[in-house]
Amino acid sequence: MASKSTMYAMYEAVQHEMRQRKDMTWIFELTPAVASNPGTPVINLEKEFGRTRVTNTGIDEMWMAGATLGAGLVGTTAVTYIPYQGSQIPFEIIQNHAGKLRYMSGGDSTMPVVFIIEISGQAAGFGGQHSDYEADSYFAHIPGVKVVIPSRPYDAKGMMASAIRDPNPVVYLFPQGLRQLSEEVPDEQFTVPLDKAAVRTTGNDLTIVGSGAGMTMVLEATDQLQKVGMKVEAIDLRSLKPIDTETLVKSVQKTKRLLTFDQSYYTLCPGAEVIARVAENVDGARYKRIAFPDAPPPASPEMFNWMRPNASHIVAAARKVVG
Amino acid sequence: MASAQSSADGPARTSLPSQTRRTLLKGFAAAGAAVSISSKIAWADGEIGYWAKDLPNEKLIDMYSTILRIRWFDRTLADKQLSDRSFRNLIHLYCGQEAVAAGVCAALNNKGPFEEIDVIFGTHRPTGHAIAKGVDMKKLAAEYNFKATGLNRGYAGEMHLADKSVGYIGADGIVGPAAVIASGAAFAFRARGSKQVAVVFGGDGTYATPAFHSSMNNAALLKLPFVYVVENNLYHQFAHYSYSSPQKDIAVAANTYRVPGWVVDGQDVTQVYNKMKDAVDRARAGEGPTLIEAKTYRYYAHWGAPGAEVGKLGSFGYDPQAITSWRPERELRDWLQRDPVDIARNTLISWGVIDQAKASAIDAAVKQEVKEAFEWEAQQPLCKPEDALKNVFVEGTVAARQFG
Repeated sequence: MASKSTMYAMYEAVQHEMRQRKDMTWIFELTPAVASNPGTPVINLEKEFGRTRVTNTGIDEMWMAGATLGAGLVGTTAVTYIPYQGSQIPFEIIQNHAGKLRYMSGGDSTMPVVFIIEISGQAAGFGGQHSDYEADSYFAHIPGVKVVIPSRPYDAKGMMASAIRDPNPVVYLFPQGLRQLSEEVPDEQFTVPLDKAAVRTTGNDLTIVGSGAGMTMVLEATDQLQKVGMKVEAIDLRSLKPIDTETLVKSVQKTKRLLTFDQSYYTLCPGAEVIARVAENVDGARYKRIAFPDAPPPASPEMFNWMRPNASHIVAAARKVVG
Repeated sequence: MASAQSSADGPARTSLPSQTRRTLLKGFAAAGAAVSISSKIAWADGEIGYWAKDLPNEKLIDMYSTILRIRWFDRTLADKQLSDRSFRNLIHLYCGQEAVAAGVCAALNNKGPFEEIDVIFGTHRPTGHAIAKGVDMKKLAAEYNFKATGLNRGYAGEMHLADKSVGYIGADGIVGPAAVIASGAAFAFRARGSKQVAVVFGGDGTYATPAFHSSMNNAALLKLPFVYVVENNLYHQFAHYSYSSPQKDIAVAANTYRVPGWVVDGQDVTQVYNKMKDAVDRARAGEGPTLIEAKTYRYYAHWGAPGAEVGKLGSFGYDPQAITSWRPERELRDWLQRDPVDIARNTLISWGVIDQAKASAIDAAVKQEVKEAFEWEAQQPLCKPEDALKNVFVEGTVAARQFG
């Protein structure tokens, strides 16, 4: 047990599985297959497993995703790390192939593959193509692909272990802004289920639902609200496909108030689905959703920081819903 | 000696640096005379396609000034990132590659109505392309610092710069797509019977993308007025191009599409201009696309200025992001010996276009121009937050959703 960053914890899971599976592959491009963390050994997948299994490609995300899928179709567990600089280029491979092949083959095809899709959304200045946080909505819409998004190092490790062991294709969204976030994570391998939301705080006044990098803001706002006496139930979705409807419904049946928080664009953001599912099952509740406006992220910090949903937006909206 | 004449089926042609070339030419001329072959023929062989020699002095001086503008603009960006926190910026520096953009754009029509000028699609190492195409340096500096009066009113930042007025369709933050999009511009030019040419700049990394094949294949099939300029600076992001290309010369890939593929010395602006002029002439004549691979080098890291020092050219220090493969320091020192600024200056002096004193005066004037651009930038207003909801569509604004 040691304090580990999200990035390191995820790589620890990968390293463990690669040691167990002698044919498992890892394809990367910009993000080196290396993770270091104070007080723990450096993980270097390339060095440990060799360049035949751990391959640095050109800037060709279509190949990275396609090759990973192809490896899976012939029985190899395969993972690729698609950096946020080209994260939507492999969409066709994931949506129209990985998501449908099992079904189209009448259950014949098996794809033990993980597409790590890095999402940004954290930094002002990068402008339109390098600071979006929209991939969660896109991938969650696809049938046949499990979509998960960790919000902390412990889940990053446990969900990666589960994703690798899962016989289905998994899109593992990795919020780039969480790379350095650290907490105590066990050294031994463990799993976190791919279909369960996590209730982070319990309360009767208001349910706040978020995921991924947004959870940092949700928990910050929850903390502020708890201090002024509001009892908040903060839920981390963790899985966007499938969505853990049961946990959400149970919570809102109790609180009767639901606030969703997303960094994704407003239209069809994960919160929209959360509200729809809850509304179908809970009578008489109040709803509100916070999301990024339906506009690409601007480069200017003055515009971007005003636009990006944050903890103070949650606090203000929570007061409106509860008040 | 490689001929500058193109051949659709021939192998990639290698150009020699102009100094070497001229020395060789002199040698050939002398040899020709000795064996009673007309020295005129020997000279003529070497001179075919040496279009830069036919240019008026002002044009040559303009090419040299362009190189200097890019150099001092980027060095200012590097220095500011290292020392001036009031200047907020993300930078992918073009230093070392200036002769490529300057030579390519010098062969294009950059002034006139948008419907008539040639267009370029650049990369997110954009200052070279922007400045060479004619983008105003003041507005450029302001955009880098996300000002409301910047080139793109603060929406773009570095990686999405665009200026239609000079035919700079824009930078691209993603590697690959620009090539197919640029071929679409060429497609439109052909469809409307225009003599315009569409050019895409792409790094060596673009060779590995599906867009490379798609753009070249379709441009060849449809004989589009399209020029693909590969700026091979040896590294895509942090990896050597041998990770992504089985070819030593990416230009040989043109053979696959039965179009010319030329290797050119990207450090020598006259060589780049010569080949680009051939490519543009081909495109305007309806003969189809050309692939030009400019061998060049970037003096700084993939992005930012890690390991660089204020006032000193190049990044020699450690770059924490370059784990898998990184350039040896000697490689950088080696390339600095063939600096595009020096080569352009020496060429112009040896041709009698300018003398050393004039060269120094040009340098001082450009430095002043760059200084004034950044001084102007510092006075410009910041963006209004609410403006973030504009420009999504031609009309109207979108709703704020961040407040719930």
